[in-house]
Amino acid sequence: MDTRAAREAPCLVACPVHTDTRLMVERVLEGRYEEALDLLLEANPFTSVCGRICHHPCEESCRRRKVDAPVGLRPLKRFIVEGTREYRLRRRGTVERSRKESVAVVGAGPAGLTAAHDLARAGFGVVVFDSADEPGGMLGTTIPRYRLPYDVLREDIDDILALGVELRTTCTIGSDTSLNDLQREFRATLLATGLSESRTLGVPGIDSHGVLLALPVLRAVALGERPPLGERVVVIGGGNVAIDVARCARRLGAAEATMASLEAREEMPAWEWEIEEGLEEGVRLATSWGPRAVLSEDGRVTGVELRRCVRVFDDEGNFSPAFDEDKTCHLVADTVVLAIGQAADLTCLKGSGVKTASGGQLEYDPETMTTSERGVFACGEVSTGPGAAVEAVADGHRAARAIHHFLDTGECLKQAPREELPTIGDLPDETIERIKQRARVEVGRSPGEERVRDFSEVERGFTEAEARAEAQRCLACTTGAFVDEERCAGCLTCVRICPFEVATVTKTASMPEEKCQACGLCAAVCPAAAIALKRFGAEHIQRDLSRLLSAREKASPAALIVSYCCLFETTSRKFLEENPEDVQKTGVAQVLVPCVGRLSVPDMLAPFEQGADGVSIIACAEGECLYPTAEERLGARVEEAKRVLEEIGLSGERIELWRTKESAEVSWTAFWAISRRKLAGIGAEEQGKKT
Amino acid sequence: MIVAERKPLGEIIGFIEDFKRVLVIGCGGCATVCLAGGETETKIVGSALRIAAGKAGREQEVLEDCVTRQCEPEFVEAVPARARDENLEAVLSLACGVGVNFLAERLGEVPVFPGLNTKFLGATAEPGVWVEMCAGCGNCVLHLTGGICPVARCSKSMLNGPCGGSNDGKCEISPDVDCGWELIIRRMERLGTLDKLTEIVPPRDWSSSPHGGPRRVVREDLRQLAAEAEEERATAA
Repeated sequence: MDTRAAREAPCLVACPVHTDTRLMVERVLEGRYEEALDLLLEANPFTSVCGRICHHPCEESCRRRKVDAPVGLRPLKRFIVEGTREYRLRRRGTVERSRKESVAVVGAGPAGLTAAHDLARAGFGVVVFDSADEPGGMLGTTIPRYRLPYDVLREDIDDILALGVELRTTCTIGSDTSLNDLQREFRATLLATGLSESRTLGVPGIDSHGVLLALPVLRAVALGERPPLGERVVVIGGGNVAIDVARCARRLGAAEATMASLEAREEMPAWEWEIEEGLEEGVRLATSWGPRAVLSEDGRVTGVELRRCVRVFDDEGNFSPAFDEDKTCHLVADTVVLAIGQAADLTCLKGSGVKTASGGQLEYDPETMTTSERGVFACGEVSTGPGAAVEAVADGHRAARAIHHFLDTGECLKQAPREELPTIGDLPDETIERIKQRARVEVGRSPGEERVRDFSEVERGFTEAEARAEAQRCLACTTGAFVDEERCAGCLTCVRICPFEVATVTKTASMPEEKCQACGLCAAVCPAAAIALKRFGAEHIQRDLSRLLSAREKASPAALIVSYCCLFETTSRKFLEENPEDVQKTGVAQVLVPCVGRLSVPDMLAPFEQGADGVSIIACAEGECLYPTAEERLGARVEEAKRVLEEIGLSGERIELWRTKESAEVSWTAFWAISRRKLAGIGAEEQGKKT
Repeated sequence: MIVAERKPLGEIIGFIEDFKRVLVIGCGGCATVCLAGGETETKIVGSALRIAAGKAGREQEVLEDCVTRQCEPEFVEAVPARARDENLEAVLSLACGVGVNFLAERLGEVPVFPGLNTKFLGATAEPGVWVEMCAGCGNCVLHLTGGICPVARCSKSMLNGPCGGSNDGKCEISPDVDCGWELIIRRMERLGTLDKLTEIVPPRDWSSSPHGGPRRVVREDLRQLAAEAEEERATAA
């Protein structure tokens, strides 16, 4: 059954595998990194890989991008992976085989291995074949190590293999064994062979010595070889493979690495950040130029002749370059590398009944994922064309569902190539204006000239403090306020206090979820207690209090302080891992609240009912709250709670409001010590008044 | 709406301290809207009473509830049963005085105490400020005074004002109180109906006001229908 919310956060919708990135961020804030990893791996077995190289459509659609910059969801994912390595090894395990049917997967790239992962978890036997020595497909054999270290890829693959997936490397279907053999041995076969061949170009001089294809160059580099490319390298192409080659060339010692692309700078198909990083490393761009001829002397490359490209795509958007032959230029080169696209290697079909279409591609039904042969399916780039790693993972999931259905019923399952989910859409302009800006936490990169010295990783991961700071920036889309209409008295209090001017009242209140920023200020003061927050409600506080205070021995002489603390102020999860036994020891029961501005007066009084002697509310540093007016509103509520205590003969000083200094680690313990001392005095004073 | 204000907690504790089992009951109507006796105030008062009982070493259980409106039979009909089933010894109502009365009539031996002071019929002037605008005198004269009530807003409830105590638009009783007749005159000036004030309003019959004794409004037609329906039900049974 579909239990998803009616409208999802745009980040989840944009992710091809619908990773719940919003919830992931929430788990990071709560210090529940292991649970964050669980949810990531559930959506995507290539989580380590995607934490490094994902093209992060989640960030591209993040609603924060219109306020300042998107939340760093990809680096947060990497942080989770890096922070939970031991846990991940513990959770790794075999799945019991519950189905007699076996499936053959041809190709150990992200698409094939994802399908293998899903099918193994469903209880099927799975054998994955790959012609390379090591699994991983393009991720393992062509993506340069400075972007994706091989051991990072292995984290994902080893998880998958541990399920019980059998891997047969150095086994080429079509020569070592045939597709027909697989069809006989396995109930279903999945072709996930990717696009492993570089396309070549029909221009004069192309056969010259020193003209290379991109993928063989990248493969050699990935294996740790240092192919001699010379001083001056020209890469033909403007895509991601081309930029990989150019950046590798710089690392191999080329003084000049120039990309000649048909596209203008802004049309280049390579990811923008890759281009930027390439430029930092000294890669040169020759945009809007197409190759006319490779120049050579004695059969050896000396350069390329380029002609001005005036148009790449026709009016229908089809690739149809046009040139101005009068405008030409020459680039001197020792090596020319062709990175103009990839093609499928369909050796595996040799002798089989699987048909190919006129263009040499696989004959394939995009809805059922079937080929012309019953029981032979295809997924990933071999059928979809070039795409990103996470798209291959999504296609792998889809293929597993198709095959599962086929093995259950003997029939083909029709699935849309991409599942479109409803989203809450972008933030309205008037809401954007009211959201406080906060700079994205950038990890930075070492200078380009240092980076080109070797193939070590360009980007470092977040520290815990950085990850937590970045996670705070999440707007927590779809988790805002909702109203119990039965209770709502239409009193307008929410309308009057909402700092984002989101709440409205007609007969009852409503907070449109595309606008609500989940600050919780309305819920804290609703006189009918009719407003709750999807993400963090009052019942959460009550639950935490009961849990923490249950172990407390009533007779304990030391003062007991309940401390409501702003979750956003912690730079490590040290303060998030309290347990009831610690309360006994320290006398402080902490309840972490994502912004203490949402505490209601009953929340402040409840601890006293349960035996607390004091309440320490620790807010963020002055002026730091994400939510406008929250600090003032909280101050007013604290005063109200103090008055209630005074009215019943207790000192209002039993409730204290602190502002974090620097960080939780630096200041909170000191606050509690002061509160404890103060409480001892207050107790004596109240006793004195009585007698 | 009816505007009310919570009584000091010390006073409330004085009402209920001798009872072992007390229900604090809020009202989802006017008392909620004027932030005095809704669900949240009920929680605050409940919590405060429990803390106070704990501190004083009293064995007292304080329960909480909030009904849609305490002035409708259907909304409060469950309270007497609850009092019986749960052995309630006292009820503290956070409704206006109407709710306290209404519950008291239904609760047999269980005493009902007021948690609020019922203040007046008024409106929200600004967040946190409520002002009286109607005295419920039972015979509206607002058509004569530009929609501003002389009974509620003049300190003397004069029908032919202002008196000599009007000073710069303020009433002599306090510089915080607007002179009701100043407001009436300014309003009628604006409406171009000031000349109507030349007509002297004769002394009125105040028997429609609280001075005439407890009042009631009866819609005979509705009452008749309800009685017939009741009879039919009884016959069928």
